[in-house]
Amino acid sequence: MLAIAARRLVSMLLIMFVISVLLFLFFEGDKLNLAARVLGPYSPMTGRLAWLEHNGYNRPLMTRYLSWIYGFMRGDWNQSAQFSAPVFDFLLPRLKNTAILGACVFVLTVAISLVLGVFSGIAEASKRDRAITVISVLTTSVPEFASATFLVAIFVYWLDWLPGSSSFSNGFSWREMVLPVATLVIYNFGYYTRMTRASMAEVMNSQYIRTAILKGLPYRQVIIRHALRNALIAPFTVMILQLNYLLSGVVVTEVFFAYDGYGKALYDAAMFGDVYLILAGAMIAVVVAVVSQFISDVGYTQLNPRIRFS
Amino acid sequence: MSDTEHKLIGTLKQQLAEKTIGRRDFLRFATLLGLGAPAAYEFANRIDGGVAPAAHADDLPKGGIIRIAQRVPKLDSPHTFSWIYDSNCVRQVCGYLTRTGADNITRPDLASSWEVSDDLKTWTFHMNPKATWHKGGAFTAEHAAWNIKHCLDPSVGSSVIGLMKGYMLKDVDTGKLDDKDAKVMSTELWDANAIEVKDPSTLVLHLQEPQVAVPEHFFHYPFLMLDPAENGVFAMGSNGTGSFEMTVLEVGRKCEFKRIADRPGQVDELHFVDLGDNPSAVAAALASKQVDGIFQGNIEQYDIYKGMAHTDIHSIVTAQTAVARMRSDSKPFDNPAVRKAVRLATDCEKTLQIAHKGVGTAAEHHHVAPVHPDYFKLPPMPRDVEGAKKLLADAGFKDGIDIEINCKPDPSWEQAAVEAMAEQWKEAGIRAKINVLPSNKFWEVWETVPFGFTEWTHRPLGFMVLALAYRTGVPWNESAYSNKEFDDLLTKAEGTVDVKARSEILGKLEKIMQEDGPIAQPLWRSVFAAYDKRVKGFQIHPTLYLFGEDLAIEKA
Repeated sequence: MLAIAARRLVSMLLIMFVISVLLFLFFEGDKLNLAARVLGPYSPMTGRLAWLEHNGYNRPLMTRYLSWIYGFMRGDWNQSAQFSAPVFDFLLPRLKNTAILGACVFVLTVAISLVLGVFSGIAEASKRDRAITVISVLTTSVPEFASATFLVAIFVYWLDWLPGSSSFSNGFSWREMVLPVATLVIYNFGYYTRMTRASMAEVMNSQYIRTAILKGLPYRQVIIRHALRNALIAPFTVMILQLNYLLSGVVVTEVFFAYDGYGKALYDAAMFGDVYLILAGAMIAVVVAVVSQFISDVGYTQLNPRIRFS
Repeated sequence: MSDTEHKLIGTLKQQLAEKTIGRRDFLRFATLLGLGAPAAYEFANRIDGGVAPAAHADDLPKGGIIRIAQRVPKLDSPHTFSWIYDSNCVRQVCGYLTRTGADNITRPDLASSWEVSDDLKTWTFHMNPKATWHKGGAFTAEHAAWNIKHCLDPSVGSSVIGLMKGYMLKDVDTGKLDDKDAKVMSTELWDANAIEVKDPSTLVLHLQEPQVAVPEHFFHYPFLMLDPAENGVFAMGSNGTGSFEMTVLEVGRKCEFKRIADRPGQVDELHFVDLGDNPSAVAAALASKQVDGIFQGNIEQYDIYKGMAHTDIHSIVTAQTAVARMRSDSKPFDNPAVRKAVRLATDCEKTLQIAHKGVGTAAEHHHVAPVHPDYFKLPPMPRDVEGAKKLLADAGFKDGIDIEINCKPDPSWEQAAVEAMAEQWKEAGIRAKINVLPSNKFWEVWETVPFGFTEWTHRPLGFMVLALAYRTGVPWNESAYSNKEFDDLLTKAEGTVDVKARSEILGKLEKIMQEDGPIAQPLWRSVFAAYDKRVKGFQIHPTLYLFGEDLAIEKA
């Protein structure tokens, strides 16, 4: 178990190192272009050359990479050209906002999809199963921008119940959370419901469940004690991997509702060409991706007795 | 007002009396040449009995907060701004020397009056004695001179340089080389005494070339008058001459301004809320009353705004456009008959309806807008499919032509306009394949493709774009157009201050564009914004400038 975790950890660090080198080369390889982006399109060539010299860009690439990665690990993420603030200070509150959004979506999605998936999976081919399947497939096949448009048309323009943008310009507001959370939950729960259903149905057909039922155990107890745990292994892995999606997959929804989070910040940075902000954002996405992969791997071994006891 | 009127003002007055120029053109040019706007209006009213725009009505509601959806970019270096957004924020705190109104007329602001010498090379600006800084003290000619010099300092990097370079600056070689061993060029004032502070209230500009639009250039969005003590940096608590002070700034989120008690204006506070680049979030925020107005509406949302019961749409026609330009050095566009056939096959009015929802005016294929003071009204050039076919047949294209037009997908109306025109051209046997390039790719090839749809922004005078885009050999001549007669007339127009005489020259230029020119031009765009009906005093500006002191809001 420890050996697996250690091996995973090493490969995780290696992946992060390789990606950081690639990102660095991609964004900071062409230093004149970088100076133009940082100083603006009207900046004179003399100013750009002076800026490069002053900020140590005339050092060898290797030295520059090392000093960058060292600064990055200490939280020195340079200055955002677009927002005129240290990237670290700018991104932190936005990561927090995205974390709030992600947490709400995660909890709701998991709750809904586990309940629906289990109900669907324990009675395969029943009317209830068919209904849940149809709903799951329908909602999952509608992309976020479309469902967001529908939700806004209904709840903002028609019923006038909810605010149409979620910028929190007057501080945090639960009312402004409703539509972005609903959009993401609608898009996501179907997939996990299907996942849970398939896994549950498979377990319900296995011999030990049949034995348990034949033994006369209460049906409820069979489901909760014996079936659920085994049925959750596969959905668990997928759901942890969703953490990664909740960071970088929410761009569309955040931009749509002007939700002031990581996704919108990254979108703005990409549109503007704010190199340091994109670089930091990409690094964060990489770290979250790799770490969630790690958690999912380790968790999987913990949940799956075949691996745990081997 | 000065006692010495520019000698052309007399001519203008006479032309107005004889009705050879319109009221608006008179006002515009008389004020440009230094006649005060009140005096100009008074004179115009004596002639045609018109009514001057109402001064600020006293019955506007007082107090309250107005929230406007607009991006909030960084504000730290106003002289290098490259958006309207950022200038809209700082404009609430700092002022300009002049102010061009929504009617295209330039009026005094921090400069209360000006005169120009007869050769248009010496401009004298008198500072407004009533203009004061928030932190005390009068606004003086030294302050103005510092700001002009700061904007023209190449190390600052202001876009003012591009505007004033021709008459204020000269090129100098820095003696340095960049990493490709090309000479690094810079600029400096053409004469050490070009910006002269005559006395604390008088500023004189000495130009190396005549220029008629100096007062308009002072209203260029980065040309804000900052406190020299702050060295070109704007921040919380910065000094200014305007009605507001900044109380909150969170770049990318919001910024808030509070009116200083004894300064002009109605509202207590003005807030800008950043809702990002997505126009539907802006529309939804206005619909749910999270904001009271929006900086600019996107044409795709036009019907949504129209459907909102609690808002008004404000729109104004501008000289913003895009043109289907044909490179006159590549086949088949080297034949002028083919170019004219493309024009004849275009239905401008329909394209305006389809691509821009009718928000704007149909264009006439000559790139001079009706909003330009020197515009000349030609007889209409309607769509003529048979005429187009005949032109093509006579030019040896009996079966029509197959061509490819390049365009970009955003703003989305451009692609829609190209699709509409391509459909119209088909009837005349002009079969155009549409090649949509991503914007950044498009801007790499915009000058070189044989046939492309290029956007051009608003410029105040009619000949300016013609000179930028169609004169032989100039850098932005994307159609490789070269016509001696056109060039000569253009030079003549540029040297003609008299607006009526110039408009007649422009008439000839417009005719050449229609008959021989390299473009088909479908429409002039209107810009629009939507505001809650509770907001009073808002008047949309062609360049979307916002003035917080004009706005008022009724209680909900």
